[in-house]
Amino acid sequence: MKLKILQLSILLIFVLQLQGQNPLTISGSIMDVNNQPLIGVNIVEKGTSNGTSSDFDGRFQLNNVSETGRLLISYIGYEGQEVAVNGQSSFDIVLAENKQTLDQVVVVGYGTQERSEVTGSISSVKGEDMGNLPVAGASQALQGRAAGVQVVRNGGAPGSGGSIRIRGTGTVNNANPLVVIDGVPAGSMNDVNPNDIESIEVLKDASTAAIYGLRAANGVVIITTKRGKFNENLSFTVNGYTGTSNVVNTIDVLTAPQLAELKRERYVNDGLAINPIWEDPNYLTQKTNWQDELLGTGLTQNLDFTLRGGSENSAFAISGGYYNEEGVINHSLSQKFYFRINSDHKIGNWLTIGENLQITRQRGFGVNTSSAQTGLLWSAIRFHPGLPIINADGSYSSSQVSGEFGDINNPIYTVDHQDSENTRNRLLTNVFLEMKIVDGLKFKSNYALDGNLSDSYNFSVQITDQIRQNALADLGRGYSSNYSLLAEYYLNYNKVIAKDHSIDMVGGYTAQTFQYDNFSAWKQDYPNESLTQRVLDAGRTFQSISGSQSEINLASVFGRVNYSYKGKYLLSATLRRDGTSRFAEANRWGNFPAISAGWRVNRESWFGDSKVVSFLKLNGGWGRLGNQSVSAFQYLALISSTLKNAFGNNQATGSSLSRIPNENIGWETTEMLDFGVEIGLFDNRWLATVNYFDKKTEDMLIAPPTIGSIGRASIPDQNIGSLKNSGIEIELTYRDEIGELGLTLSGNASLIKNEVLDLGGREFLGSQFYGRPNQEIARTYVGTPIGTFYGWKADGLYQNQTEIDTDPALANDERRDQELIQPGDVRFLDLNGDGQIDAEDRTILGDPFPDVTFGLNTSLDYKGFDLNVYILGVAGVEIFNADRMQGLDPTYSFNMYAETLNRWTGENTSNSIPRMTTKRNNVNHRTSDLFIEKGDFLRLKNLTLGYSLPNAITSKIGMASWRFYISGQNVITLTGYSGMDPELGYVDGNLQANVDYAQYPQARTFIFGTSIKF
Amino acid sequence: MRHYILFFISLTGLCSCSQDFLNTEPYGQSTSDQFWRNADDAVSASNALYEPLDDESFYGHTEQTFEICSDDFWRAGDHGEDQAIEDFTFDANNAQLRESYTRKYEIINRANAILINVPDIDMDAGIKNRVLGEAHFMRGFAMWRQHVIYGSLPIIDVERYRNNEFNVAKPSVEEFRAFIEADWKKASELLPVSHSEDNIGRPSGGTANGFLAKLYVYWNKLDQAIAAGNKVINGPYGLADNFADNFTIETENNPEVLFAVQCLDGWTSAPYRVYTTPRPWGGWDFHEPVQDLIDEYEDNDPRLDATVFKVGDMVDLGGNKGLTEYVEGLSQTNYHFRKFASWNEAGGLDSDQNIPILRSADVYLLVAEAKIRSGQSGDVELNAVRTRAGLTPKSNATMADVIHERRVELAGENQRHADLVRWDKTNEVDIVEHYNIDRGQYKPARNFQRPKHYYFAIPQNEIDLSNGILMQNEGY
Repeated sequence: MKLKILQLSILLIFVLQLQGQNPLTISGSIMDVNNQPLIGVNIVEKGTSNGTSSDFDGRFQLNNVSETGRLLISYIGYEGQEVAVNGQSSFDIVLAENKQTLDQVVVVGYGTQERSEVTGSISSVKGEDMGNLPVAGASQALQGRAAGVQVVRNGGAPGSGGSIRIRGTGTVNNANPLVVIDGVPAGSMNDVNPNDIESIEVLKDASTAAIYGLRAANGVVIITTKRGKFNENLSFTVNGYTGTSNVVNTIDVLTAPQLAELKRERYVNDGLAINPIWEDPNYLTQKTNWQDELLGTGLTQNLDFTLRGGSENSAFAISGGYYNEEGVINHSLSQKFYFRINSDHKIGNWLTIGENLQITRQRGFGVNTSSAQTGLLWSAIRFHPGLPIINADGSYSSSQVSGEFGDINNPIYTVDHQDSENTRNRLLTNVFLEMKIVDGLKFKSNYALDGNLSDSYNFSVQITDQIRQNALADLGRGYSSNYSLLAEYYLNYNKVIAKDHSIDMVGGYTAQTFQYDNFSAWKQDYPNESLTQRVLDAGRTFQSISGSQSEINLASVFGRVNYSYKGKYLLSATLRRDGTSRFAEANRWGNFPAISAGWRVNRESWFGDSKVVSFLKLNGGWGRLGNQSVSAFQYLALISSTLKNAFGNNQATGSSLSRIPNENIGWETTEMLDFGVEIGLFDNRWLATVNYFDKKTEDMLIAPPTIGSIGRASIPDQNIGSLKNSGIEIELTYRDEIGELGLTLSGNASLIKNEVLDLGGREFLGSQFYGRPNQEIARTYVGTPIGTFYGWKADGLYQNQTEIDTDPALANDERRDQELIQPGDVRFLDLNGDGQIDAEDRTILGDPFPDVTFGLNTSLDYKGFDLNVYILGVAGVEIFNADRMQGLDPTYSFNMYAETLNRWTGENTSNSIPRMTTKRNNVNHRTSDLFIEKGDFLRLKNLTLGYSLPNAITSKIGMASWRFYISGQNVITLTGYSGMDPELGYVDGNLQANVDYAQYPQARTFIFGTSIKF
Repeated sequence: MRHYILFFISLTGLCSCSQDFLNTEPYGQSTSDQFWRNADDAVSASNALYEPLDDESFYGHTEQTFEICSDDFWRAGDHGEDQAIEDFTFDANNAQLRESYTRKYEIINRANAILINVPDIDMDAGIKNRVLGEAHFMRGFAMWRQHVIYGSLPIIDVERYRNNEFNVAKPSVEEFRAFIEADWKKASELLPVSHSEDNIGRPSGGTANGFLAKLYVYWNKLDQAIAAGNKVINGPYGLADNFADNFTIETENNPEVLFAVQCLDGWTSAPYRVYTTPRPWGGWDFHEPVQDLIDEYEDNDPRLDATVFKVGDMVDLGGNKGLTEYVEGLSQTNYHFRKFASWNEAGGLDSDQNIPILRSADVYLLVAEAKIRSGQSGDVELNAVRTRAGLTPKSNATMADVIHERRVELAGENQRHADLVRWDKTNEVDIVEHYNIDRGQYKPARNFQRPKHYYFAIPQNEIDLSNGILMQNEGY
């Protein structure tokens, strides 16, 4: 069937090949300013439909040209020209590159488009804006560069890329966008060296993303890497930088004598005998600031090269690099090795074959900074300050001394003894072929392999002298292979009909398979822990071997038509039909249509030649997209057969239902409306884009209420939820040259509102609880954004007994009669007015999503100097400071925040920091708005100052250019937030955001670097 | 022309895609229609009934949290929310009260799956009966723990499980008990009297009867309690020669132990051994016995030494620590429980240590109690327990004797608080008064509210999730 459609369309195209004859024939060549031929340039005789395009050598020939006619020469990305024929028969035309954004080419799914003709919403970021930044990957470099595109990092651990959210969080499930690297839907973008990137396009609206159908609901990020050009002289570029990083803030905690004093005060307040450990002189002197010991100086280094060039028929770019990031926490490390070959080859004048080959090796040692029970930074804030790092006898100090010192292992012991490593080798390669069938009609095919081999190693030493022990040393090794194969075939037809009707069509078929296979092994009891013995063979007892395998396949047909009438009225229609093996047979196939239109108002004759408005376009569109990134095979009931139990000395295994099935499960569907205005002022020196979108996700997958009576089998998702994101995106650019000063100012802002519309009858979605106190912090309710903070409202502290006795909120609260509530305890609000403080008094306390996210970028160049100032910020956002909530709580056996020195000790001594007590009768530190803070910040994310040596000097020493620069990352942060870092990410999927768990803080990094081009 | 040929060659790639391409199957996991085929599957399903027991969120720790209300030990440890439990000021949000909730239902549902599927399997009748008996017993056991803690909770029976009806109202306590009784009666018919060495640890008929005796005593059905208890006393479940045998790895599966969490080094383990031992000895220092419990022991009662570590005791910690003295400061009360821990020769806590849940000694004392409370003599059963401990027999034993004997025999075994609650209900003790006695800093006077604290609060998140169907217990 599909085959027939393709054949039909080919026939159709032949019919359209109408040709006439005329005696006057002209010919010529079209070159760029560097005398390189330009291929595919349109040459049209003005006022007729007579036209052609330049060939591989930039040459063209056009028959039937009137002697008095005029030629219109146009080429996307270049300034157009109009040339009088004047009886001439030979033309050598030179086209200059167009620096104006509007005329640049943007990459879209299965093709390219001129920016001014786009009818949807695409943000485009040039590689040059992201190169040579001290960041671990392209996703971080993208942060703040485009409106509607948020990059959120949960902590600053080396190598952590962050989550990308396009136009809000589109689902409570996997909301990551599809990443397409050089035409291959290919997972992580952080394996691409940012210095290899030519451009990143973000397809934000449905009409541009629909060509990727079932995977496009959360937007599409298209990465295009740099290529060589035909007939380009060989060039060799080397980039290198190195620098150091440090944390900006630490948390002020109590010193040992202060801690002992406050701990004693707890017992006195409660009328209890003081635990003698707090009077033991061994622990009364300040010995260690654990945060200072844990946090040191990190190191960031990068060295890479690119070799580029091209002959008449072959062009290539070869690049390689090494990136090394050592974190501010000792032993945390991320290293990357990059290698890439891109090439293009012409065979005859009808066939082009090209390939991309990317090999990356990533190696990292991670540290735990996410747990509020064992996290390193969490531990350093809480470990007893009166303990030394190392005792006099050479052993590490330990909280085993007393139950009053908490169940925390010495954080320096942990850092010094941990030994884990993850490596990943990836081969991402594709070969593509482009065949010219007839004029305007091309056949393209693309074959890709994306293979990942991952290897993990984790050795845990025997721990006997710390509170969290490991009775026997153990070693776990894991190995997995994860690869996908892609084959796709499509036709592209491009034609101007009757001079006013321009058509660009693409249509084809694609199939992709994803294969995953892993195994892991775990052994215990390593009597000899020397490094050479940390292999599986040296372990004495076998613990487990496990392995799993999976296969997911996708098959699709797709098509798109772009039509333009006189370059004024633009129309685009897309349809993709996708099938996925994730779901039951009846629910596998879906259709994803989109349509959009644009109007270039300034091309209307009535608009005239405005001196002010040089460009004005209105566009709007609608489309439907899908999200299939959910656990596969939920339509099957599964039995797990690896449950361990024992009978006396006999090992046994049991089987039970591990998943309840849902036969009707399908993908999530997103429908989006998009309206935009693009305006250029003063010869397009000012450019502004404003977009409004309304994106609604239906059939959102939610597990039904997991009430305890279901037990512990996993519950399948059901397509019952609905969620909406709507908002406004603004992008503004100003470019000018004033004498020798080049200036670019750009800014973007996103105002996005997230609202859950339906949870399929569920009252709310819960999310993971905080730390061992197991405090619930966030819930997702209908009518509010995902992951709102949920708890009690507080109204200061009770200052005296009378306030307690007369508080109507406690009228029926038996704790008052029992004198369990005392002055210095928190006054919680009795929201339901039943005269007691209980679970019914909880409410939504705050929203983790910012009202506005913005980025500001300023580039100046003057003579050889260049300066880039890049500012990032959010406003109207709240943070739940869970670390502070626990850090102020005296009922835990941990060190506390220094703020507790300002605790309540008598009437009017404090209205926000409760009294010291060992009791939890009022649970003063329950989840309440006492711990919600404003999370607004303005961060000078990057500041770069560079100097390039003048050409006169570099040419003498055989270089094309030589630039030096210094650059700072996270240079200054303005915020009122009291924690370490206001940039916090997602926890528990999307169900929690902006909760401070004492995550790995983002460091301040300064580097010095140089780029040399030969 | 050449390129057209190439073009069509490329297109043939399309044809390789048939409908089969989208039929992928999960690897390595059985789907439910591939299971329940034979005796192996049935036995494997029965094994899974016990798997949740050793979990930290069940008998590995949190199930023992319900006992910190008792007068036997101080909570110790560093779980801040335990203070509210010990002092009866907890509310329904208390995290420690929540943990074990789903574990019990998981056992219930695993049992339901067996009761639905195993009857249709063509297999050896003896094994089939055992498996079905185990399912009845374990469903009853999980519900028994629910009963002791909450009184009553939604009953998920075979029909509701089959129909995915999980959000249902809870029945009366009486109905709840009747359901447990039916399960255990069925189990006592189906389960064998004892098991061979390779199945040791599975419940036997004696286990079911022992629990039935306990249910009936709680239910005040004293005659039935005596009848069920006598089946244990007259069965092959005699008391071990030494009290300490029940807590010693080599003898932990002796016939007295009717039911226990089975732990096997290198395979399964319960972290309770870590919770109950001193920090410098590798533990986490929870649940320190208080002086009031120590004072309960008669002079020369050897059970004291087998129950607690006290100052001056020499303990072999193995490894380079070796024989180590229990000194002051290891505990704030100066005691730790000894019943649940021992150390490897090479050092470190031995994860082979089982956790006993029901012993014949408990059943002897239940029968003694039932007899005394129904006007008969309980001397024989009471004295069997005392004599094993080398103590002088009592004659005309009273409830006070039973209360004393249960406390010293079963200290730390998660019985005391529940015993006091049921004795209050039948006016054997006044629990409000009893808990209002100041027993020092580590067991001060506490305000037990009657009837609120007869049961614990149902976890608030369960109430929230049920949309008004599950009602909270009285007083919370």
